[in-house]
Amino acid sequence: MRAQPPVRIRVIAFGALLFICAPLVSLLWRVPWSRLVDLLTREVVTDALLLSLITSLAAALAALALGVPLALYLTRMNGFSASLIRAVVVLPMILPPVVGGAALLFAFGRNGLVGSAVSDLTGLVLPYTLTGVIVANTFVALPFVILTVEGALRASDSRFELAAATLGANESRVTFRVVLPMVRPALIAGGFLGWARALGEFGATITFAGNIQGKTQTLPLAVFVALETDRDAALAMSVVLISVSLLILVSLRDRWWPVR
Amino acid sequence: MSTSPEFLLDARVVLDRGDLHLDVELQVHHGEVVAVMGPNGAGKTTLLNALLGWLPLQSGWVLVDGETFEAPGEGIVTATHRRGLGMVFQDGLLFPHLKVAGNIEFGAAPNADLASLIETLEVSNLLEKYPSELSAGQIQRVALARTLAADPKMVLLDEPLAALDIAGRSRARELIGTALSENLSGALLVTHDPADAFALAQRVLVLENGRVAQFDSPSAIQSEPKSRWIADLMGWNIFRGAGRGSSVVMPNGTEIATAGLQTDGEVSVMINPVAVALFPERPVGSPRNSWLCRVRGVQFLGDIARVSLSGPLTIYADITSSAAAELALKEGTEIWVTVKATEVHTDAHSNGD
Repeated sequence: MRAQPPVRIRVIAFGALLFICAPLVSLLWRVPWSRLVDLLTREVVTDALLLSLITSLAAALAALALGVPLALYLTRMNGFSASLIRAVVVLPMILPPVVGGAALLFAFGRNGLVGSAVSDLTGLVLPYTLTGVIVANTFVALPFVILTVEGALRASDSRFELAAATLGANESRVTFRVVLPMVRPALIAGGFLGWARALGEFGATITFAGNIQGKTQTLPLAVFVALETDRDAALAMSVVLISVSLLILVSLRDRWWPVR
Repeated sequence: MSTSPEFLLDARVVLDRGDLHLDVELQVHHGEVVAVMGPNGAGKTTLLNALLGWLPLQSGWVLVDGETFEAPGEGIVTATHRRGLGMVFQDGLLFPHLKVAGNIEFGAAPNADLASLIETLEVSNLLEKYPSELSAGQIQRVALARTLAADPKMVLLDEPLAALDIAGRSRARELIGTALSENLSGALLVTHDPADAFALAQRVLVLENGRVAQFDSPSAIQSEPKSRWIADLMGWNIFRGAGRGSSVVMPNGTEIATAGLQTDGEVSVMINPVAVALFPERPVGSPRNSWLCRVRGVQFLGDIARVSLSGPLTIYADITSSAAAELALKEGTEIWVTVKATEVHTDAHSNGD
């Protein structure tokens, strides 16, 4: 049991809560609830919903596939090189997404460092495609997976790996049967956080993949466009995004920040 | 360097880890259980980790059943999972995400007789439970079953009973003894409890400051402790003084005669309480080690009475309870204390703790 903070602290805390809640409540206040179903079944909206669902899920899976091996590797590293790599890895988390999208263009764009070689070899072009949306979303989701999983790996007792090795398990068996199953909650949390981040991604997507309805226009982009043309549709889509994000955070509350 | 397969384990482990310089050579015979004892920080767990290949040797060798697993001089290093050495950890280290059955099957050898192991170690009613639902004693039994299921060439046990309460200990010790004798070609058992070492091991290796202080049978360790630490552990009387000829002089001037010590340095003197005799009158022939002391207290432990004495020496004597009654010992009683010079053990090299 902690002591209650002084009154003025409580007043400021209440103010902070209000500050966060006011925009959310105001938005929900303006939602035309009776027409919600009608608004959400419009083609612009269903296109965006479906596209967002596909790309964010694909990005979450890709972030897990790429992020978990990197987290395993980082766990074994120490010293300056590890700090440096970790800083680079986490960069997309705080980088303005527009800059991330621009960087993606310079790397994977038609004339990009990697992109030109890829398109020469395979004919595959990433910008302004659905795959491009997934790439952009993966880029921003990756740090969440890496940080969550690496934190759990570092906290777990490495002697379990020794125990497994004394039972005849080679490196891959140790990894897949012991190390990863033991951090399963973190894998799930990292995946969901990455998914939530991908679902809300705006800047990197619009910069790298554009804003083409039915092709690269995800929910956040559709909301942005609809704010100018059809405010009610924008509100309806916002409700969907808020609900999903809230649902993810509430269901992960034990993983993302410690309760008790 | 020996390659004789007459030993199950033939190793010399030399490595530095922090402040510890470990340099231990040991051989374990087929079917033998060797206990490793020593103070905290002596290098017991480090020794096991080195044998397992979890810590690299700086020099030396590890041979199991004649097969070289590690020899830095020849550039040989075999990975832990290929050594076939089982390990039971102090806290069991059962995989928390697997049920007991999953843990036991994790490394099970194709030819392993799991059913009989499960019966011997009394874990049959635990198979569907997760490790978090088990008591400390159950965890250790499952851990041993898991290790033996992998059919190891040899088992290393790191304080397997330390986490158990007294009631669980003796039963677990019994079960481990049975399991080891039924399943095993040999074992190395790290423990801090002499009861474990003497009940389960044929030989005891005393490790102090990274070096072998004594490697002998339990009875020899008991009757002839070669170091201050092990003597202290056995409940012996320990004094420190300066060597002078064949005697040791205490800081208060009391002189203790030994049977043959010749040193001028600092010496630890170790005397088994059983070897301390009490007489109401000054003993005839007045042996050199006799002092008039005063009884501080008497504690009865079954048939044994532990008499605490002060005087020229502050010393404990273990005598039979009937002898204590006969001497009518009570606090303040004056009594003659004698110790034969041949019962005075010394450790001139020990730096204490």
